[in-house]
Amino acid sequence: MKYETQKIAYNYFVVATLLFGLQVIFGLITGAKYVWDHDPLINILPFNTSRAIHINLLVVWLLFGFMGGTYYLVPEESETEIWSPKLANIQLILFASVGVAAIAGYLFGWSWGMPFLEQPTILKVGIVVVALMFLFNILKTMMKTKRWTVIQGVLLGGLVMLAGMFIFGIFFVKNLTTQYYYWWWVIHLWVEGAWELVAGSIMAFILLKLTGVDREIVEKWLYVEVGLVLFTGIAGTGHHYYWIGTPYYWLWVGGIFSALEPVPILFMVIDTLRDVRERKVEIENRTALFWAVGCAVMHFFGAGVWGFAHTLPQINKWTHGTQITASHGHFAFFGAYAMLNLTLIYFAVPKLKGIKTLKSALSLSALRLMVFSMFLMVLALAVAGIVQVYLQRILGMDYLSTQGFMTLWYAVFWVCAWGFASGVVLYIIDFFSMGKTAKS
Amino acid sequence: MTVSNAKAIFIWGTVVSAVIFLALTYDFHRKVGMQTHEMKLDERVVAGKWVWQKYNCNDCHTILGIGGYYAPDVTKVMSYRDRDWMSRFIKDPPSVWPAERRMPNLHLTDQEISDVINFLTWVNGIDTNNWPPKPMALVASQALPKPGEAVFKAQGCSACHMLGGVGGTIGPDLTKVGSRRSKEWIEEQLKDPKAHNPNSIMPSYAKLSEKDREDLADYLSGLK
Ligand code: HEC
Ligand code: HEC
Ligand code: HEM
Ligand code: HEM
Ligand SMILES: [Fe+2]
Repeated sequence: MKYETQKIAYNYFVVATLLFGLQVIFGLITGAKYVWDHDPLINILPFNTSRAIHINLLVVWLLFGFMGGTYYLVPEESETEIWSPKLANIQLILFASVGVAAIAGYLFGWSWGMPFLEQPTILKVGIVVVALMFLFNILKTMMKTKRWTVIQGVLLGGLVMLAGMFIFGIFFVKNLTTQYYYWWWVIHLWVEGAWELVAGSIMAFILLKLTGVDREIVEKWLYVEVGLVLFTGIAGTGHHYYWIGTPYYWLWVGGIFSALEPVPILFMVIDTLRDVRERKVEIENRTALFWAVGCAVMHFFGAGVWGFAHTLPQINKWTHGTQITASHGHFAFFGAYAMLNLTLIYFAVPKLKGIKTLKSALSLSALRLMVFSMFLMVLALAVAGIVQVYLQRILGMDYLSTQGFMTLWYAVFWVCAWGFASGVVLYIIDFFSMGKTAKS
Repeated sequence: MTVSNAKAIFIWGTVVSAVIFLALTYDFHRKVGMQTHEMKLDERVVAGKWVWQKYNCNDCHTILGIGGYYAPDVTKVMSYRDRDWMSRFIKDPPSVWPAERRMPNLHLTDQEISDVINFLTWVNGIDTNNWPPKPMALVASQALPKPGEAVFKAQGCSACHMLGGVGGTIGPDLTKVGSRRSKEWIEEQLKDPKAHNPNSIMPSYAKLSEKDREDLADYLSGLK
């Protein structure tokens, strides 16, 4: 750690870690409702509420991680302290309060009712305020020295795009088709656009610092990767416009562009492995390295392979809105963004705590347990999805009877989810002990 | 490759894709009115859309294939359910459809129920490029469904009755009901289940039109 204000990041990582734990608890509750059809909580915490909390916590903890990462990265890239640490801390408290209000609200049935964007409008306004405080602080910091590195530029671009896209998810539109058209500007253009920029930039920074390869090489590849991400991903939004009341040509546009989306993700894997092979310095933080390589690979499988599997309209016609989607959603979010945040935390926290060489056996157990369990979880959901497509969409069996035939696979999913949760527990223990054994 | 080449890839990649996307977005706005028959989107439908959002129906159900996967997709629900069944169902789901996995009673007001049904009726008319697809097996067999079969589906009889291995177990299996019950007997059962069993929990279908009831009895008595 070179700059005092990088420490701001730590509190963001603490909140992210706690919310991650909570997200998984709500995942287990939501999943149980599939295993046992009879739901004893139906009037207190019905499926829609627990699902909303599960996916909101997911997005929020990832955003906390990204923000923490930004506060860690920008001082080093800009070679200056954060413009206002005080604003950064207020921003953290405000964001956490909005999050608590949203979740408490869902428990009382207060909802805006679009998936992922269930936050009532007034809380969305709060989120916009948080985003503006954050961007302002970051921009002010960057303006102090005006060192426009590519890593920093891509990060800023990604963050501005992230905040900007959210605007399209705030307004109530009378026409459901139009509402969903713009809903995807948030959901899709986040995970297959803005977030890839943020994640790509953070990953480039970590690899640069870990392996000591030339900045020029890292930055060149960063440009190519995010360029291809946006080229394929923007028009690739069309893979969500096949069946929602949009013109037929989207089957062509969405199909072709989104089929190319795995290409830049593959480049990222190659790039990561090359940086590691051609490292210029001995890698001190082996733990972060393992997480980084794991992330690159899982990102490729979850988003690239699992996404490609159902992105062509000929296939998506049958799989759209089934457990196949849930399988991909879990795999991609975990591989691309949960693992990125964990990589970031294992890279940054030791530096913040003054730990020189990190080789945490506990962390590696957590890594193995999470990756292995998640892989089994998404396989189980994929089998459930195949059963669903076959019985319901091909044979024409009704929805609920089909679900009966899927119960076994929901059970497998749920049992493996406990394995995943154990991995998360190990991680949380390890995270907080990195704080404790600090100065040793 | 130099950094400035890489930068050109970034800029041009982004610009080209964004231009295509924005141009098509413009075209979408020109066409969406026709494709979703917006002239039928009246204020009751809009009120119904808000009911749909307010109760967060979408985190259990998919609509247009998007949302939670816990409950049936409702995009085309109004092509196999009628208004009357819908309002009875939403008013008290477990009594109309006593499945194990159930929809909670969300305590909608009568006005809200009517609005949300208007909304789902409007959604049913959206041209979704033929999604959800017709089951391949049905297309292949080319069998013309009997009129009674449609009534059976629309009235949700399978909530309680098994037919061909599919359905609930609260009432008897109807796969071969024609071998033990006559058409007249079934018509009577539909009109007044209590006539055969005073403690029957099967709802009366006296409100169905004469024709629907006859079609239904015709269809069931033929199952032997
Ligand atoms: C907690 C989850 C949940 C919520 C919330 C929910 N539903 Fe349902 N819904 C179900 C389930 C499960 C079924 C399947 C039938 C059953 O078992 O009751 C169902 C069935 C239906 C059906 C019949 C579908 C068919 O294929 O016949 C309609 C229509 C419906 N719901 C509308 C709504 C509306 C409108 C709302 C919001 C006001 C809503 N649901 C909220 C779970 C839910
Ligand atoms: C709420 C559950 C329920 C629903 C919904 C329901 N039934 Fe029934 N049905 C029963 C039960 C229970 C019986 C057993 C006899 C009794 O108690 O009346 C029965 C009996 C029958 C029988 C006589 C079967 C036999 O072998 O004796 C027929 C025919 C029948 N139902 C047809 C229908 C049709 C057609 C529909 C839809 C329009 C329907 N039922 C809807 C519960 C239901
Ligand atoms: C990079 C990270 C990615 C993440 C986090 C992600 C996440 C998700 C999520 C959560 C959904 C479900 C949305 C919903 O309906 O609720 C989804 C849908 C989808 N994703 Fe991804 N995705 C990623 C990348 C990709 C890529 C690269 C492709 C294609 C190559 C792809 C193809 C699809 C398709 C086709 C759907 C629609 C599924 C359906 O029709 O139901 N995704 N994605
Ligand atoms: C213990 C582990 C977990 C369990 C049991 C679990 C369970 C579930 C369940 C039951 C749903 C609802 C799916 C539906 O609507 O039918 C869901 C949704 C979702 N979960 Fe999880 N989850 C877990 C962990 C995670 C993790 C670690 C992530 C990401 C890093 C994640 C991301 C998601 C996403 C993106 C969705 C929405 C999927 C979609 O719309 O397609 N979950 N989860
Ligand atoms: Fe997408």
